[in-house]
Amino acid sequence: MSAPLLEEFGRGDAREREESWRYSKTALRALAQQDYAVADARAALPDTLLEQFDWAATRGRRVVVVNGVFSEAHSDISGVGASVTVGESAGNAYSIRIDGDIERPMHVVYANVPSAQSSRWQANVEVTVVSGRARVIEQFIGAQGESVLGSLRRRYDLADATQLDLVSLCELPESVAMYRLVEARVGAKARLHTTHVLLGGRLQRLDFQVDLAGSEARLESRGVFALRGRDHADTQLDVRHLARDTACDVVWRGVADARARGIFRGAITVAQGADGSDAKLSNKNLLLSSSAEIDTQPALEIYADEVKAAHGATVGQIDERALFYLRSRGIPLAVARRMMVTAFCAEALAGIGDADLRELLAQRVQAVLPAE
Amino acid sequence: MTGKENENMLKIENLHVRVAGKEILKGLSLEVKAGEVHAIMGPNGAGKSTLGNVLAGREGYEVTQGSVVYGDKNLLELEPEERAAEGVFLAFQYPVEIPGVNNTYFLRAALNAQRKHRGEAELDSMQFLKRVREKLAVLHLKDELLHRAVNEGFSGGEKKRNEIFQMALLEPKLAILDETDSGLDIDALKMVADGVNAMRSPERAFLVVTHYQRLLDYIVPDVVHVLADGRIVESGDAGLAHKLEEHGYAWVAGRQAPAEAVAGGV
Ligand SMILES: Nc1ncnc2c1ncn2[C@@H]1O[C@H](COP(=O)(O)OP(=O)(O)OP(=O)(O)O)[C@@H](O)[C@H]1O
Ligand SMILES: [Mg+2]
Repeated sequence: MSAPLLEEFGRGDAREREESWRYSKTALRALAQQDYAVADARAALPDTLLEQFDWAATRGRRVVVVNGVFSEAHSDISGVGASVTVGESAGNAYSIRIDGDIERPMHVVYANVPSAQSSRWQANVEVTVVSGRARVIEQFIGAQGESVLGSLRRRYDLADATQLDLVSLCELPESVAMYRLVEARVGAKARLHTTHVLLGGRLQRLDFQVDLAGSEARLESRGVFALRGRDHADTQLDVRHLARDTACDVVWRGVADARARGIFRGAITVAQGADGSDAKLSNKNLLLSSSAEIDTQPALEIYADEVKAAHGATVGQIDERALFYLRSRGIPLAVARRMMVTAFCAEALAGIGDADLRELLAQRVQAVLPAE
Repeated sequence: MTGKENENMLKIENLHVRVAGKEILKGLSLEVKAGEVHAIMGPNGAGKSTLGNVLAGREGYEVTQGSVVYGDKNLLELEPEERAAEGVFLAFQYPVEIPGVNNTYFLRAALNAQRKHRGEAELDSMQFLKRVREKLAVLHLKDELLHRAVNEGFSGGEKKRNEIFQMALLEPKLAILDETDSGLDIDALKMVADGVNAMRSPERAFLVVTHYQRLLDYIVPDVVHVLADGRIVESGDAGLAHKLEEHGYAWVAGRQAPAEAVAGGV
């Protein structure tokens, strides 16, 4: 096994890491066999990348990180307001402090830009929500070229009675791999709402751990992966109910076409003393080709009393009867298939309040299938 | 196709179809002219829905012999969506629920895809909604059904009426109604019949599959066929339906049996 990367990527002890990487071992090993130079933080962003994130709606509230380093040139935080403080402790470690409501979302962009040889970067970000309700859109993008391996560790700390809405879009070309570790702590009566969309990439791994640490803390985790070609995405969600009357509601959808590979592991633990907690997990997956593969693994461990828990996971194929029904009304096959994919993923995107953003994500998801 | 009255719109000759390795249609022949309404009756499992599915282009229905000419085209060569755009419409015996696909969105996508195929301008949402409202009124369907997912949570009768509503909206040339009357209450049956009768025209033909004489009192057919064991075994005028109601299918089987009876007697 690719020891150096395995030590770096993942959580828990050696055995837990080994276990959690079981479906993605080969992909990780292939990554580990390469030599990497340090990615160039001053690499110029190609126009194709600039266009991807230059949204009119988030101008003035945008932070751009190029190969792990904050880019003064591309960022514009003139409209952020006093509630947000961005600090930089080292070249690739940042802290963001949010104190007070943010009405319009912050847009944080992580760009993977290739060099003349394989390269890698890493960064650490800590986000603390001290008070109010914060909104963040994060976007991971990359340019095709020599391989880039990015790794990002983040901590979200939600103080009591705060709220964070996070929308995360990670859309990568096949020459980029990303490891993401997200650790969140949700305080009493605080609420974390996340929507993750994973598209493309040689290897995308998301380790997402949420501690519902204060009573009545709440997590809503939504997510979609839509994969094609030889994309490989692996999500490991780990929710821990540590206090009374905490709730989590997990809705993830996965779609894989061609020879793509998707993995979703959703583990929920209700610790001793976390009585009266409520845990819901729904994971449905759709295979669009016979060479695609999706593995889903829900896991529920309960050590508390009066817990409500429900979980379900499925892997299936497109309903041929529905497809024929659409076609029999004149809808071309390719359009009908896209409609089915969009419908399949709709529930996981429904929690995004901003209709334009929701539409953008739905469009990106349905692009997993060709238009014609 | 020309769409003139008295011209053959659909010509099926000696059609043999296998489903899941089993021969279901065994030499079916049928001719339908523009402007006509043909009723197809016949026992359960005779192959009526199979015929509808083959005409609409469903996968898994293997044509081993025979031909289907629609206008001047070989229908069997067209994809389902091409058939729809050329004017073929199947009202399903069991309409499919499609969770997550909004009904209005679906209908507009369908109508505009057909129009695009025919080289007509696509309808914008105002034009589309105007048309929808007109057709909804005819079938007394609630507006609210449009905001739901396709057929999701519709009652049995609502599903059937929704099929006819779609037909009214898409204005096909050849409409195949597969037991649209089954499961309808008396009022709904009238609405469906009204919907069909309002669309009868010299350019349009209907194939109405039904088990019940009652529908044919409202939609009076030009020809009634009996489909049994994969073939049309008897054809006649509207009076044939009454005879069937009285005597049952055994009566037809008895009239058709001679050749087989002789063989069986040897
Ligand atoms: N997909 C299939 N696989 C296996 N058998 C099938 C399939 N589709 C149809 N059949 C068989 O073909 C025969 C004809 O079916 P079909 O649905 O055409 O009958 P029908 O005349 O419409 O009957 P009903 O009046 O009950 O609707 C039946 O015996 C049925 O079981
Ligand atoms: Mg039938």
